[in-house]
This record gives sequence, structure tokens and C-alpha cells, in this order.
Amino acid sequence: MYMFKYVVKRVLLMIVTLFIILSMCFIFVKLLPNIPTQQFGKDMALIAARREQLGYNKPLIEQYGIFITRTLLGGNWGVSETLYTGQDVMDKFIEKLPPTMMINLYSMFISVPLGILFGIYAALKKNKWQDHFISTAVMILVSVPSYVYAFLVQYILCFRLGWFPMLMDAGTNYFSWSMFKSMLPAVFSLAFGTIAGLTRFTRAELTEVLTSDYLLLARTKGLTKAQTTVRHALRNAMVPIFPMILGEFIGIISGSLIIESIFGVPGVGALYVNSINRLDYNFFMLLSAFYTAIGLVSGIVIDLSYGFIDPRIRMGSAK
Amino acid sequence: MKLTKIIAIMLVVCMLGVALISCGGNTADGTTDATTAATTGSDEPVTPKQGNYTYNLAMSVFPTNWNPHTYETNDDSTILDYTSQGFFTFDYNDTLDGYKVVPEMATKDPEDVTSQFVGKYGITEDSVNQVYKLTLRSDMKWEDGTPITAHDFVTSAKLLLDPIAQNYRADSLYSGNLVLANSKAYLYQGQSVYSANESIGIQVADMTVGDDGQYYTAAGEPVYIGLDFAIPNWLGGNTLSKYVNAYGSDYFDVTNWPTLIAMVDDNGLVPLTKETYDLFVPVTTGNPAWGESEAEIFNYLVIKQTYGEMSFDDVGIFATSDTELYLAIEKPLKGFYLLYSLTSSWLVKESLYKACESVTDGIYTNTYGTSVETTPSYGPYKLTQFQSDKIIVLEKNDQWYGYNDAANKGLYQTTKVQFDFVAEPSTRLEMFINGLLDSYGLNAEDMADYAKSDYTYYTTGDSTFFMAFNPDLDGLKAGEANTGANINKTIITIPEFRQAMSFALNRSEFCLATSPTNNAAFAVFSSFIISNPDEGTAYRTTPQAKDVVVNFWGLADDIGEGKLYETIDDAIESVTGYNLTKAKALFDAAYDKAIADGLMDEDDVIEIKIGTPNLTSSFYNKGYDFICNNYAEAVKGTKLEGKLTFTRDGSLGNAFSDALKTNSVDMLFGVGWTGSALDPYGLIEAYTGANYQYDPSWDTSSAICEIDLNGTVYSATVWDWTMCLAGDPITITDADGNMKEYSCGSSDELPEERLAILAALENAVLETYDMIPIMDDSSASLKGMQVTFYTEEYIYGVGRGGIKYMTYNYTDEEFTEFVAAQGGKLNYK
Repeated sequence: MYMFKYVVKRVLLMIVTLFIILSMCFIFVKLLPNIPTQQFGKDMALIAARREQLGYNKPLIEQYGIFITRTLLGGNWGVSETLYTGQDVMDKFIEKLPPTMMINLYSMFISVPLGILFGIYAALKKNKWQDHFISTAVMILVSVPSYVYAFLVQYILCFRLGWFPMLMDAGTNYFSWSMFKSMLPAVFSLAFGTIAGLTRFTRAELTEVLTSDYLLLARTKGLTKAQTTVRHALRNAMVPIFPMILGEFIGIISGSLIIESIFGVPGVGALYVNSINRLDYNFFMLLSAFYTAIGLVSGIVIDLSYGFIDPRIRMGSAK
Repeated sequence: MKLTKIIAIMLVVCMLGVALISCGGNTADGTTDATTAATTGSDEPVTPKQGNYTYNLAMSVFPTNWNPHTYETNDDSTILDYTSQGFFTFDYNDTLDGYKVVPEMATKDPEDVTSQFVGKYGITEDSVNQVYKLTLRSDMKWEDGTPITAHDFVTSAKLLLDPIAQNYRADSLYSGNLVLANSKAYLYQGQSVYSANESIGIQVADMTVGDDGQYYTAAGEPVYIGLDFAIPNWLGGNTLSKYVNAYGSDYFDVTNWPTLIAMVDDNGLVPLTKETYDLFVPVTTGNPAWGESEAEIFNYLVIKQTYGEMSFDDVGIFATSDTELYLAIEKPLKGFYLLYSLTSSWLVKESLYKACESVTDGIYTNTYGTSVETTPSYGPYKLTQFQSDKIIVLEKNDQWYGYNDAANKGLYQTTKVQFDFVAEPSTRLEMFINGLLDSYGLNAEDMADYAKSDYTYYTTGDSTFFMAFNPDLDGLKAGEANTGANINKTIITIPEFRQAMSFALNRSEFCLATSPTNNAAFAVFSSFIISNPDEGTAYRTTPQAKDVVVNFWGLADDIGEGKLYETIDDAIESVTGYNLTKAKALFDAAYDKAIADGLMDEDDVIEIKIGTPNLTSSFYNKGYDFICNNYAEAVKGTKLEGKLTFTRDGSLGNAFSDALKTNSVDMLFGVGWTGSALDPYGLIEAYTGANYQYDPSWDTSSAICEIDLNGTVYSATVWDWTMCLAGDPITITDADGNMKEYSCGSSDELPEERLAILAALENAVLETYDMIPIMDDSSASLKGMQVTFYTEEYIYGVGRGGIKYMTYNYTDEEFTEFVAAQGGKLNYK
């Protein structure tokens, strides 16, 4: 019951927060100067008339009212005004979402097991050369921006060695071998950072747990090192690691502007920035709502996940 | 550090090293010198044989909407270039060194049938060149085989001018040279449009007072004062009330303001009556800080233009049969400009177009031309694949009439055109070297390797880019006030300062630093601008244009036998625009003048705020750095040493040009106008018309320009001369004060006098030193080994032959084998 109340409370708070953030987004983006570029020989009155039709000249509060009734209550996010003129923003967003999700998903499939395995291995080999090697590699991978790996991956694996195509394949046949192979350079580039992050985090957590008293007790009572590591140490170490993995999974729908750009992934990575640069209000509001909602939902899910991983943690409990 | 840790680090470093070593060195083993393997553009094309010939290209910005009625950018029109046709088209002339305009969808030149329509469309018995009959081909079809007739062009024009749709391209039927009769009135029917008088330019003295006491134009349109109405240019898109509210009595005489503002209607307007006029005049003229005159009041006026209901039958387009299309135009047009106006078309497939329409909450949208399904072709290629920001594939449209035309035999060898979205230049280059692309646009970083390659083609563009100032004293003073103590900006108003800025700029170095494919520019118009389109004469090759350059750069007295330059061309060749000694002297002179005029104190520092559209553009970033360093060095040893600084506002987006007009920034660079390569007589208005000027502080309606016409020097305002080139009669005055009406006609009439006027106006623009030319927009690209251009030289209108004339050295399969045989990498160096 405590949990139920807690969830209801969090969801209600989330809705209020979402509404406030969207209102702020709407007002701030509308406050950005939006003056049509003067074009030589162009009938600017025609552009002015179109802007009038789009409601740009209405008072801000009236525009906000239309946004509330048409979009938030009516569910109509409108059509793109500048980025994909005349096309439904929701349709366009959904069209561009799968490639982003696919490369992020594949990246997670590679990076989560590898990151945890490297982390465990480094923790078990603490202060040995293997640990130093992994830690140094992790330090480099964490320090270098992902687009640097992306260019290196593209240059070495695609251009010099020719193992992969330079760009992701066109089309929507995401489960074909050709498409999968063409996604791998982008997947690798995305995975390096996650592998490094997870490795470092797992190593740190596991190292701490492995040196705790109860592990010593477990060994004393006769459990093997593997048994203590898997049954006790890893399970406890996973309490902070699992929410991190969960957060990464939720993040698969957010694109990477640079990686997508380098490997020709027709995803959502550049949409948000472009919608601001081009002042495509409807697209901006849709993306703001989407990413804000995802962020808020993931916050709740991660918080709740603690309770599932470790039954001692109870959200909303009075005690 | 423990030994194990050191070993671990060394291991990682070694692995990285091995990886990086594998990246370096590329010519010894894996590549082949292409000159031994493929023909260059100058060689004879290989005889076409059956096979697949794919032209692979990359784009960094993809089209999003190629609806012929609404597309906005050149990128958007990429697909239309292949799927649509014009009534006429550019082709090579007989000697392959120029162009000619030939029929495409039309079968012959337009016939002037004006005399058959006297009494209609405002045509009188004296009218000529106003109604044309176009005879169209009878074998035109959509890609699905549906025939295309003249009636389809009429229907498409009606859809284009649909008042509800407010299509972005609707003005293509009335805002250029070709003004379809009543087309604008049809578009705006039933609407009242409030237009700022600044662009119409009607003086109060030319208006009449109606029975209701309000002023009206000669056309009977009521006139208002725009108090809370955005004035696009005069106020940079702001309203007067915004300024009055911000600055109050510091800049305005606000005595009558409360009375006036109380009368404002919902549109922010007050009817112009004698009473309101008298109340308003002191507001902008009564305080020297704002400092305007009564003659400038017209800029604040707004005219209400009302368009009545109209039938499309009254619009100047109709068809009398499947192949006979009539166009009635409001302004006479003939010759090259008529044909040029008809090199594109507005044709859409009606049934599909209507299916794509929707109106939601009063907002009209149309998805025609946004996908394969909504893109019917009537050109040589049809769209077969499209994925947003990913790929475009066009394949031969076997329904296109041209493939059955004997004139096209052996042409159009390309069977497929593919565009890939490749954002990163480095990726594009790698793909090009791998043989995956047939063209690569060179960047600054590539020039060291490829500037002298046999595969590099240079193309001059039609734009000139400027460094721009708007030396408006009040605006700059306001900028100073906002910046703080001991900051000076008003020195910009001193001509010597702007001259010094021009002479201190090493344009060649600037180009090398920012965009090495560009060339230094020394005049308003580039060498690509054509002043006589019938003959393809470049403006810069005319004696009048050459005189502008040598006069402006002070070389006129050094030309002739025994002088520094034997010919005028030698003198022009020597111009660099860079004279640091002269610049330093001018900086000193400007400083002295600024001190003497009280514009600047000795402890002031000049701070010039430069506006750029963003902070990410490589050109603007490098350009800003170059400017900062260049001028810091240039003022060394002058009285401005250490006193000339720059700041940057890189958040202006599309509005960055307006920011200069309103003095929100003090300087721009890399700005100019494009799109009128064949009409410099019209393009000059971009530099002299208040609607377009980057420097509206230069009042061209009062600036006098003297021009020698057939041995007599006449004077008129810069704006009047500009209007004269547009075809308006003007009043000109000779040295003795005698006035006369003068008209230099339009388009191809009085070419020498028109050239003289154009050159004088170009000189007037340069002499302001508000717009300082710095470079043209040349580009360079590498041509792939699979293809051969038809001509080495770039010809206006036809380029190097385009898709029509391009030939292939290999089929796709052969080229793949060829690339593999070279180790997968081609050497274009």
C-alpha cells in the first residue's frame, strides 16, 4: 500500500513537473527572435500572411492557450513548420526513431555484458597488471569524446580495412545481416563509452564489496571464491549498477547527434538541436515533451528498481 | 609507480600506436595514380555501351519538401531538377563556349499575340509583348503514363495561387520579370493587406484627403500611421512604440505620444489625417537625438490594400487546346528574359495534389512532394527511393518524351542518380577515394592535397561577400551607451576609418584562412554576373565595369603607354586591395577626426561587435579570428594601437543581417546577395534600396550620383537611378540645372546607357565603404574517375554539361572492379 501511494504520488508530481517544464519550454522558445530573412525580390507579405495563418502574431498567452487545448488536451502535435514543412511531426518522429533505437539497443547488448565482465575481472585482479591495463584503457575511453572513437572506427575499420560499410544501410529492414553489419561501426562507437563507464563502476563497487567482512565470513564458512563473488559480492554490488544499466536502456531512444551524423544513421539525434535552430515550434514542443517525459518516467522506474533489487529498500515506507 | 602499472600503460599506448600507424601512409601500397587509369574531363568520352551507370553524390543537407509550390531552398529543389522540366531550357551554344535558351516542353519560341487581347488585362492598342502563346509538346506524360496538356498548367497555376494555401512560391507568378496579369490580386482576393509604405515610397504630398478626413493614395487606399506596427526595414522589424517606450524623451518628443497612442486600433495603426499628421511629426523630428526629418515621415506610414473577390478566369493564363497555352503579363517582356522566366514550371498533378491537401485549425498544409508516393515525375528521371536524411534514388523515367527525341540520342547516359546523406566532410572524402562517390566538394583542409589535381574543377559563383557597416551615428551612440564607459563605436561613422578597414584587410590571406576556394573580390559584382544575357557578356568584361575597378582602387592615372600598367586589364590584375601603409595613415586620420569631432576621447577603446549567425560555422569562426588578429596587427604603430577590439554575437541566426540594420551589432562579414546572375540591373537595388540595404543609414533617396550619358553629366539621386534601371522614368539634372525626364528603358534597350548607370551605381556603393567587398563565392570540387564532363569550362546555365551530357568511362560493374584493382582506393592527388 505504501508503495502504491508512493507511485501515485510520484506520477502526479511527474505530470505537474512535465506541465511546468513544457510551459517554460513553450514560452522560452517563443521568446527567441523569429524574424523572416529578407530575400531579394521576394513578396515578403506572402511570408507574413503565412506566419499570420500559423498564429505567430497572436499574443503569447493566446498561442499558449492554443497549445494547451490543441496539443496537450487534443493530442494533436501539429505539422512541422520549418524542418519538414507540412509533415506531421509525430509521424516524422516515429519514422526516425527506429534507427536510433536499433543502434542504441545493439550497443547496450554489447556494452552491458562486456562492461560488467571487465569490471568483475578488474576487481578480482585488483592491483595486478590486468587491473592496471583495464583501468588505463577505461581512463582513456572515458576521457576521449565518443566522436573521436567514431572517426577512428570509421577510418580504420571502414576506410582502411574495409571491413564495414562507411554508412549505415538505407531502408527499414533493420534485422537483415547487411543492415546489422552496417550498423556495427556506430554501435562500437557508442559502446566504448558505456563499456568504460560500466567497467569502472562495477570494479569500484565490487572491489568495495569484496573487501567487506561478510565476504570474509562467507569464505571462512567454506564457500569458494567464485561462489562468494557471484552469490554475495556481485549481487550486492548490483544495487547501484542495475539502475545505471536501466538508465542506459531508457536512453536508447535518445539519439547521438555526432555518432548518427558520422555514420549516416537517419535517426532522431539531430532533431532537437535542429528544431531549435530552425525554430520549428511544433517539433520542438513534441521533442521537449517526449524527452522530458522519458526523463521523468526513468527517474521513477529507477527509484522503484532499487526496491526490486534489494528487498530491504522500500520506497515510501514509513519506516 | 609500480612496474606492472607502467607495463600496462605502455601496452595500451602501444596498441593505440599500432592502430594509428595503420592509419598513416597511403600512396605506396594501396593506391594508384588515377591519371594512368582513367581519362580526365578533357579527354574524348568513351563510347556509351549498355550497362548500369550510376551517378553517386553526397549531400550534407537533405531536401525535406520539393512541392513545386512550396519548396524553399536550393537543397529542396534537388529532386525537382530531375523530375520536372521548364518550357525552355539552357543548352550549349554552337561553339560550346556559351549558352542558348532552347524549347523544352514548348515546341518553339513564344508568339506575341498581344494585339488579339486589346481591352483585356489592361492591354491597349499600343501594347506589345504582353500576351504570348506557348505551343507545347503533345507527347508529355506523367511517369504513370497520364498525358499532360496545356490545361494542366492552367489548373496548376490556380492551385499555386490558391488564396487559402498561401504557397511560398505563389509569388513566382508575379514578383519577377514575368508578372502574370491579376495573379497577385487573385492570391490576395478578399483580403486587406497592410503594407509598410517604406517600400512603396509614397510621400504625404502625393496623397489626397478623403471626405472622412483620412489620407488616401492615388489608388484610393487609406493610409495610416504605424505606431504599434512592425516596420520591416526602417525599424528593423520593430515597432515605433517599442523604441518610444524604451527611450522616451531621451530620443523622442513625447509630448503628443499619449494622445496618439490612445487612438491606436487593433492593428497598431492610427488613421492618417491632418490632425494626426501634425501630432505625429514632432515625435520623430522634434528631438535631435532621433534626428529625422519630415521627409522621412513616409517610412512610418502604412497603406491598407484591399483586394476584391476575383474569378480565376481574370488571371492571365488560359489554354485553348491541349497544346496551346496563353500567358498574359502585366509588364511587357521579350527576348532572353521572357525565355528565362519560362525555364521552370509550376506544374503539379492535380489529383494527387488535392489528395495531399489538408486544413486543420485554419492552417493549410500539403504533403505533395515529400515522399516517393507524392512525387510524380514528368522529367527525365523519377524518384524511386527516398528516406529522410538518408538516401535519394532517381531512375530513368521511361515515360519522358525526351528519350524518344532524336536530339537526345546518345545523351542521358546516366541510368540512376543516388544521393546519400553524408554530413561529415571527412566521410565524404573517404567515400570518394573508395570510389563510392563521383564528386567531392573540396574544403579548406583539402586544398593542400588537391588544389592542383587534374580532377579538381573550380567554379566561380555569382555572389560577392562583403564586410558591412551601418554607420548610423545615433544607433552607434546607443550601442556605446549600452556597452559602458570608455567604449567607442562612433568612429565607424568616419569614412577614413572604414577605408582603413578596407585597405588593412589582406583579402587573399582572408580567403586562405577561411575558405581557400574563394577568390579576393574588389567590386560589388563578381565575374560571373552577366550584363547582356542575349550574348552572354559578363559585366566585369565591359569597359564601364573595368573603369569602376581602376577608379575605385586609384589606378586610373597609371594606365597607358609608358605608365605603370600598359592596359586596363594589367591594372585590374594588379589589384590586391591591401595597402597597409595607406591603412595606417587612414587609421591615424580617423582617430584625429574622431577626437576633433568629439566622437572619441583619448582613453577610449574602440569595440566593434561583429554579428554571425552562429558559433559553429567554420567560416565565421575562422573569419572572426582572422579579423581580430589582422586588425590588431594593422593598427600597430598607429594612434589606434591597442585601441581597436572586437567582440562577437554568434546567436543571431537568420536575423543577423537585420541586427546590423538596427545597430544591434556594428559589423558583419561574409554577407551579400545572390540569385540574380543575369540581372545586375535589378540586383543593384539590393545595395541601394532601403528594403534590402545592410546600411540603411546611407540614404539613397538623397545621395546624389552624377553620370555621364553621351557626353553630358547628369545628376539624380542614387535611388532614382536605381529606379531608372528598373524601367521607371526619372527626372535628371545637367550641370546647368536644366531638368529633363529620362528613361533608359528596360532589359535590352539602351544597353550602353544602362551599363553606364549600373557602373556609376556600383561605384557609389563602393565609395560609401559601408559595403567592402572581400571575396567571391568560388568553389572547387573533385570529379570522380567514373565520369567525364562534356566541357572543361563552366558555362552559365549548363554548367559542364550536367546529367544530360555527362558520360561514363566505366559501367558500375567495371568501376567496382577497377577500384578493387587499385586496392580499393583511388589516388586523386
